[in-house]
Amino acid sequence: MTWLLAIPLLPALAFVLLAPLPRATRNAVRWLPAVAMAGSLAGALVAFAKVMAAGGGEKPIYQTSVAIATIGDRALEVGIQLDAVAAIMLLVVTVVGMCVQVYSLGYMHRDERVGWYFAVLSLFSAAMLGLVLASDFLLLYMCWEVMGLCSYLLIGFWHQQEAPRLASIKAFLTTRVGDVGFMIALAIMYASVGSFGFEAVLHGYSWTPALATTVALLLLFGAMGKSAQVPLHVWLPDAMAGPTPASALIHAATMVAAGVYLVARALPIFEVSQVALTATLAVGTATALLGGLLACVQHDIKKVLAYSTISQLGYMFIALGTGSAVAGMFHLMTHAFFKSLLFLGAGVIIHAVHTQDMREMGGLRKLLPWTTAAFTAGTLALAGVFPFSGFWSKDEILVSLLKTGHPVVFVLALFAAFLTAFYMTRLWIRVFAGPAQKPDAREAHTEMIVPMMLLGAITLVIGFSSPFFARFLGETGGWPDIRMALGSSAVAASGIVAGWWVFGKKAVDTEALKARFPQFYGMFDNKFYFDRTYEFIFVHGYNRLSDALWSFDAKVIDGAVNGFGSTWSAVAGGSWTFDARVIDGAVNGLGSGVRWIGARVRRLQVGRVQTYQRLVMAAVIVLVLWIAWKGA
Amino acid sequence: MNAVVGLREFLILSAVLFALGLYGAMSKKSAIMILMGIELMTNAINIALIAMSRFLTPGLMTGQFFAAFIMVVSTAEVGLGLALVLALYRRTRTVEVDRADRLRG
Repeated sequence: MTWLLAIPLLPALAFVLLAPLPRATRNAVRWLPAVAMAGSLAGALVAFAKVMAAGGGEKPIYQTSVAIATIGDRALEVGIQLDAVAAIMLLVVTVVGMCVQVYSLGYMHRDERVGWYFAVLSLFSAAMLGLVLASDFLLLYMCWEVMGLCSYLLIGFWHQQEAPRLASIKAFLTTRVGDVGFMIALAIMYASVGSFGFEAVLHGYSWTPALATTVALLLLFGAMGKSAQVPLHVWLPDAMAGPTPASALIHAATMVAAGVYLVARALPIFEVSQVALTATLAVGTATALLGGLLACVQHDIKKVLAYSTISQLGYMFIALGTGSAVAGMFHLMTHAFFKSLLFLGAGVIIHAVHTQDMREMGGLRKLLPWTTAAFTAGTLALAGVFPFSGFWSKDEILVSLLKTGHPVVFVLALFAAFLTAFYMTRLWIRVFAGPAQKPDAREAHTEMIVPMMLLGAITLVIGFSSPFFARFLGETGGWPDIRMALGSSAVAASGIVAGWWVFGKKAVDTEALKARFPQFYGMFDNKFYFDRTYEFIFVHGYNRLSDALWSFDAKVIDGAVNGFGSTWSAVAGGSWTFDARVIDGAVNGLGSGVRWIGARVRRLQVGRVQTYQRLVMAAVIVLVLWIAWKGA
Repeated sequence: MNAVVGLREFLILSAVLFALGLYGAMSKKSAIMILMGIELMTNAINIALIAMSRFLTPGLMTGQFFAAFIMVVSTAEVGLGLALVLALYRRTRTVEVDRADRLRG
């Protein structure tokens, strides 16, 4: 079954083919990633069928690995495996990825860098598929980081503008904070187990509680960065500055769910440590509530969906905190479909009305009938209304909470569900109900409608797979408890009614509430001060540290350099003086001495032949006299 | 009185003649006169050479040979000297050596 490798490698190949092309050519072949994705989708379907035929279960039906390096006598291995979780994730990623690719062909066709967009989207899909196929934490981590890069590139896709650029940097840095935890966890894991393989780490090693707590908490920290959990959630709302289909794929359906996938994979380690499970539960609860509350006060349609995503990811972490990987993975799957559907719908709406501010929308249900239908399906699914998928997965989480004995969290989760229904009703009423504010809005092209319809249909029917899902993953499962179903439906209905009452009937003046409780509203408006706090501690702290380092640099380092420079300058000046005075003095002195002598000697040369004659004669006489005297 | 003319007389003649030549060469301004003075001096030396050859080494002809060489050389010298004088005259319209002082330092 080596052909499994083709599932992630096809989109990767598409990226490799597209990346080096010149821009115009790349734009012309922008359909190539969609073709590669179709291949991956086919592969995922076959893989799913194979696992199905084998009856699912926890055991992988295929596993292979290859050593990429040998350190000492230990081999570093990466490998792939196909088991039930991987098969489901493959299907989710390829279906959503395919829908987003096709949708993007319509959504992005006027962008001048559309080819690059599709190339990065393809690389992202490859990384995500590689992540779910990985049979060890090492390959998982590699793909994890490639996804982070693609997320960065796509958030900052319109990097000519300020907001996307800053958002991309923020997203990259914030997730990197979590990744450090992940990396330390990997190091500890390798040091103690001696392998990264799932089998060896999760089942072939007896974890001591202390070690398990450390590793599990660090892994959780990594997952919190990627999955935008409190307090590392701040990057996800800003990430909405990227193209909407990219948000649908990366920041709603797949990448942000990778943290959930990681924790679900590593759940055997978490189960050794009660602390880690409780921490996961606490993080999930806080995130679900915070995301839900903040989604109620946003005016930007994408930000509402972003906070909603944060809230739903929190829900998944709650499920994992109860030790139920099945409930978490099931909510991950349903959420991936309906949230990407909502984002794609939001993309159509934004294209139609040329704004993201819901206050400037309204009455779109008549102008965008298809989008309204699809978006409504997504809304109902998110709100948890029977028979849409969100209803089923949310119920499973609530049941799991009660079964494991967490009544407080159960109530909070119900409140989060109420909030979800409330803010989605608010969004729906603001966007679709009432008089049309932009009567010239037009329905989108077919290639954008069809993926939404497909996702809408999946959202409608996928929930009924609930009892089979658990069995497929090798757990026991059945239809949800009817009392729980009624209870959660009542909560969802009350949320919808409350939303209609406040925003549809306008029974409550929200402006008056704002004026009445300014501190309360300010808390919401400042997103519970997370960004402010980070800015104060990290940005300002960093600036102060930089200032201190700068003055150290200016005084000590520059002082030393300048001191050396001026010393050298002084030495050079002395050398110059010596040269000018002594060396030049000697040369010039020799010259002027010769000149002085010459000025005197030249007087001998009178130019008269007879003077010379006389001199010669006198010399001869002297010579003769000297010989005569000497010779005698 | 012994009227035999000996070596001494010849040398005296030679010395007188040389002194006259030297005086002429050093005191006359005309280049021609200087050349004539020089000619006198060479001839004085010829006399001295021949006299000493005749009286001191009669068997040998060394002095005579030298004298013959000096005559040849001085003839060539006079030819060269007169050519110089002519060249000088052409450039300066004079033969006074005092005027030819362009090499004065």
